[in-house]
Amino acid sequence: MTDINLTAVLFEQNDLRMEDCPIPSPGPGQVLLEMKEVGICGSDVHYWTHGRIGDFVLNAPMVLGHEASAVVSKLGEGVTSLKIGDRVAIEPGVPCRKCNYCKIGRYNLCLDMKFCATPPYDGNLARFYVHDADFCFKLPDHVSFEEGALLEPLSVAVHATNRAGVKLGNTVLVCGAGPIGLVNILTAKAKGAAFVCVTDLDASRLDMAKKLGADFTVQVTSRDPLVTVQAIEEALGDKADIAIECSGAAPSLKTAIYATKSGGVVVLVGLGQEMVEMPVVNAGVREVDIRGIFRYVNCYPTALAMIASGKVNVKPLVTHRFKLEESIKAFEAAKRGEGIKIMISCERKKL
Amino acid sequence: MAVKNLSAVLHAKLDLRLENRDVPAIGEEDVLIRMGPVGICGSDIKYWTHGYCSGVFVLRAPMVLGHEGAGTVVQTGSKVGNLKVGDRVAIEPGVPCLRCRICREGRYNLCPRMQFCATPPVHGNLTRLFKHPAAFCHRLPESVDLEHGALVEPLAVAIHACNRGGVKAGSLVLVCGAGPVGLLCMWVAKCAGALGVVVTDIDDQRLAFAKEKGADYVINVRGVEEPIAAQQIISAAGCSPDVTIECSGSDYSMTLGIHATHPGGSVVQVGRGTQIPSIPLTLAATKEVDIKGVFRYANCYPTAISLISSGQLPGLKSLISHHFPLAETEMAFKTALSRDAGAIKIIIECDQ
Repeated sequence: MTDINLTAVLFEQNDLRMEDCPIPSPGPGQVLLEMKEVGICGSDVHYWTHGRIGDFVLNAPMVLGHEASAVVSKLGEGVTSLKIGDRVAIEPGVPCRKCNYCKIGRYNLCLDMKFCATPPYDGNLARFYVHDADFCFKLPDHVSFEEGALLEPLSVAVHATNRAGVKLGNTVLVCGAGPIGLVNILTAKAKGAAFVCVTDLDASRLDMAKKLGADFTVQVTSRDPLVTVQAIEEALGDKADIAIECSGAAPSLKTAIYATKSGGVVVLVGLGQEMVEMPVVNAGVREVDIRGIFRYVNCYPTALAMIASGKVNVKPLVTHRFKLEESIKAFEAAKRGEGIKIMISCERKKL
Repeated sequence: MAVKNLSAVLHAKLDLRLENRDVPAIGEEDVLIRMGPVGICGSDIKYWTHGYCSGVFVLRAPMVLGHEGAGTVVQTGSKVGNLKVGDRVAIEPGVPCLRCRICREGRYNLCPRMQFCATPPVHGNLTRLFKHPAAFCHRLPESVDLEHGALVEPLAVAIHACNRGGVKAGSLVLVCGAGPVGLLCMWVAKCAGALGVVVTDIDDQRLAFAKEKGADYVINVRGVEEPIAAQQIISAAGCSPDVTIECSGSDYSMTLGIHATHPGGSVVQVGRGTQIPSIPLTLAATKEVDIKGVFRYANCYPTAISLISSGQLPGLKSLISHHFPLAETEMAFKTALSRDAGAIKIIIECDQ
């Protein structure tokens, strides 16, 4: 097969193939990007294994990948914010910019959002990709391409902690120590949280959580949320000011609510069942607010500043590396639940 | 020969001319509007009398005036989805870039690449036919006429000011200056649930009008030192205001607001006084009275239209004191300037 623009295309559920595609051309306001690093997200894996996520259904072949960094290779008409050779992180969702959601600063809720690797829009797991220039963020020289790709999940944590109102001195409960739980630990600490307690089923995940800054870890061993709640309260000395639920598991949601102080906030990051049993009266009468998040908004600059300043170190999150040609192997490893963040390097290696 | 598009063009200070300009060609995201009523603003007057405004905006080339406008859509660009021909719209005059950080954060009024009607060098809408991006033309419901549509712009200023000040149910609000902007702030504060509004001015006629239109207390502060005037306000109202909205353009009122406002409250500066005024900043700081500037508005047009259409501003049109056809724009401006005419809001009808 030729390799002009080797691309990872999901044809339908369980049918992921490497295809060669033409190199796209940047339109006005866009740039052509030579892709460098693309991380795999749970959603990419889910589209592959299920063909849909909720109402987003794969109806036509779609390129996967949305956690990415690249080098600017060509400028579309009118682009002045970037130049050829600039190293950038790509914010994957381009909104319409002119609807009311966009105008009030909540463009993540734009109904015409074009998001990489959410059907029907292609992602960027390829050699080359075109994107709107104003959603590409120039990386300082000392920030690596892998770190650039990690700005995407880190932005999820910036948005979650923003919505939670994490501030100086808070105690924060993070439920779930997968990659998203881990970036939330890093971000909560970067925002001055005093103590972070992390729960998970898996002891080795909790070890990583500890390494990345968790003050306390609680391994979930009982189906009864109240058992976990007691362990959390023993560790923290009290309920938490804020809980960030990153597992999507119904018992964990119950734990998060019961373990949060009255007047606190529980942020739902993890996505599980559409309908769950939830102690809504307990939350209500204690004014524990429950707030969802959808991706992130105006978070890339903050995430970049956190990494560029050295306040946050995301490098330990990358545990597996593959080349673009090996994408299917990479996805298989992801499907098996191996490691934390799997990174795919898209640069065509010179012979 | 080009279709006539009569427009009120300011060539230089005090040199306002009625001219035929070309009918603008619309882009795929624009609409062409047959202009109806356009209100005159203090800034239009300032450009006419001085050739500049707010210290930083300077007229350097001929510019069509007017930015408080409404009209009817007569043509739509190929990508326009929110409007159709025949829709009546209130025109939000400021078009930001929508791509910079401040736009994306929702405060597009502060966009450094803002293109604002009748702020040099961008042409305004005192014209027969006007082109504008559809995303900044707000459809008026059936119950809201074009004249109300023209009042949406200054109403948006008042909404933004009240938002910045944090006016809410139970607030006591002090409005300094009983001109159109002050009156609008008074009404918006009441819509937001303010328990009362005190209005100050140095003109008894304006104060009488404010009282008639809903002010709970009016005080003439001509010649009264600020701390004493503050006391008069607090005595009249029975407590100190939570929010002061300064709409007079006087440094005096900024100082008055700082003295009168309750600790923890806000003074919102809508009016423009001197560039570097002498005000009791230390007093404001020790009372934690926040001083908040206002620059136009962002995301206020939908609120303005919904306040009008829900009947919460029944007296809105009483602001309108004079009408002139487009050809008499200069007379309209002279009337606005003349204190004797007792003008509040002057409307120029661009389809007459």
